[in-house]
Amino acid sequence: MTPSSVALNLALSFAGLAALCLAMDRHHRAIFHGAPSRARARALRWTGWCGIAASFAAAVITADWNFGPVQWIGSLTGAALILVGLVSYRPRWIRPAALAALPLAAAAAFLT
Amino acid sequence: MKQGFRQSMAWLHTWAGLVTGWVMFAVFVTGTATYYRTDISLWMRPELRAAAVEPGIAAERGAAYLKVHAPKAVSWFVSVPQEDRPLIGVYWLDSFEAPIQQATLDAETGAPTTARATQGGDFLYRVHYELQMMPEVGRWIVGASAMVLLVALVSGIVTHRRIFADFFTFRRDRSAQRGWLDAHNFTGVLALPFHLMITYTGIVTLAFTLMPWGVASAYKGDAMRFFVETGQTPAWRAAAGRPAEALPLAPLMARAQAEVSEPLEMVIVNNPGDAASTVAAVFEEPKGLAHRHPQVVFEAVSGAVIARLGTLKPVAHVFTSFLGLHEAHFAGPALRVLFFLCGVMGSATIATGLVLWAVARAPKPGTAPDFGLRFVRGLNLGTILGLPIGIAAFFLANRLLPVALEARATWEGGVFFGAWGLAAVVGLLRPHDRTWREMGTAAALLFLAIPLVSALTTDRGFDFIGFDAAMIAIGLALAWGARKVSRYRGPARTRPATAPESLARA
Repeated sequence: MTPSSVALNLALSFAGLAALCLAMDRHHRAIFHGAPSRARARALRWTGWCGIAASFAAAVITADWNFGPVQWIGSLTGAALILVGLVSYRPRWIRPAALAALPLAAAAAFLT
Repeated sequence: MKQGFRQSMAWLHTWAGLVTGWVMFAVFVTGTATYYRTDISLWMRPELRAAAVEPGIAAERGAAYLKVHAPKAVSWFVSVPQEDRPLIGVYWLDSFEAPIQQATLDAETGAPTTARATQGGDFLYRVHYELQMMPEVGRWIVGASAMVLLVALVSGIVTHRRIFADFFTFRRDRSAQRGWLDAHNFTGVLALPFHLMITYTGIVTLAFTLMPWGVASAYKGDAMRFFVETGQTPAWRAAAGRPAEALPLAPLMARAQAEVSEPLEMVIVNNPGDAASTVAAVFEEPKGLAHRHPQVVFEAVSGAVIARLGTLKPVAHVFTSFLGLHEAHFAGPALRVLFFLCGVMGSATIATGLVLWAVARAPKPGTAPDFGLRFVRGLNLGTILGLPIGIAAFFLANRLLPVALEARATWEGGVFFGAWGLAAVVGLLRPHDRTWREMGTAAALLFLAIPLVSALTTDRGFDFIGFDAAMIAIGLALAWGARKVSRYRGPARTRPATAPESLARA
């Protein structure tokens, strides 16, 4: 339950949720031109769920079964809060932020 | 009510949410603040610095005071200095019917402390679970409201048609009602696991108050035995009736500490001075979800160990795990921030829901709002802005009330309720959009004044930088909200809009 383990969780949750968000027509349109192709939406959805699963795995590995699930759910809420803020105020930042979250997660994993 | 299932659930959600909303907003806000109870308590006792006193020695100092001031008590409780409370707290019961009495001692000297009298973060904590009322009444109100809130949560999930489609959506550019609904939905849905968990576990913590009948009928009024048999408290030993000299506490505490890895929290002496007296060393709860305190109980005269508490029966373990999950004592600083944010989102869900009720029922232009709507608008103002005003006034009172004032700790609470009550009266008398702006600005200024007043009245410099930063952040957030309201006065003039509407448009 160190800060770096929570940061790792937050980064993975954010990247996963951002991918799920961009897989949706309305949010994809706000950033790119038009709705995503079917293959692209499916790829984004898969990526998103994998990110969330990876976040769960990271939580359980770094914070144990006792606290891991609590931390995972907390990180999903925190990441979603940031994401909704970006969707409503700075939609163009979502993609760079999600991409930046991955090296951040790697750095946090290294520190944990 | 002959419509579909979803409509009837929507009806239930609307009204269950409205009737409990004001109480639950107060419970959520003060509960969220209680995640930082330690920090609040430290800030509110600026004279005290961490004291490095051996817990066993502190226990002896407390007992020495009690020997003089409460020699005939049936029970002594000595809380040893903690990180958030570098003081010795002594409490005693003159009989089982008598109210608990207390004194606060300096950790270094064992004499009554000269630090300002304050309830610290415990005040907001008590508002959180019993509204600072008589325990039975307050806990019943909070417990009943929480149960209705749980109903509102579940019916809200059923009512929400597009949980997944609108998961990331906050349309602040559409109509006012749309904006408030989206804000209500996303704060509610994104932290939904937290909302369900905290409401449910909150009800569980009050279970013995809300449903005393199980224990009452199974144990025939001897509720004490229930707590003994579930391994939560040691058995009570009757007094022998003849005096005897007890062993010094410090060596007993050292022996108990050798068995337990957690730090000592409290020492309980039952029947002090009696030949059958017992001494219990109560430790902090070990790291883990469950909230349980290991105890080692000694015979006070002989020093023999008579009981060890630590492992609980399975059901008691589940119960204390719910307690632990609710209180989140296990959370480190980073996870604590997430819990705090979830609490803020819970408060926001309730606040936006209350405002939404009023916005959705805004009268047509030219017609006056009826009494019910004016009443709800007034209470919304008085609660959503009145409570923050009360909390800010409470913190300011801690710094500004004279240290020597009689019943000072009570006065701090009085200022809290006075300021809140005043704001509520203003809100009820003038439930207008202008009042949202004015009271929002007032609340912001009060919060921004806290670090300033604190710096002028204490000599702690940057010791409380985290607390000060939080106060500034809350103040700026309130100022931002108030500015949004005033900025949208212009366009709002063309059509009669309520303040919440302009807030939503902002």
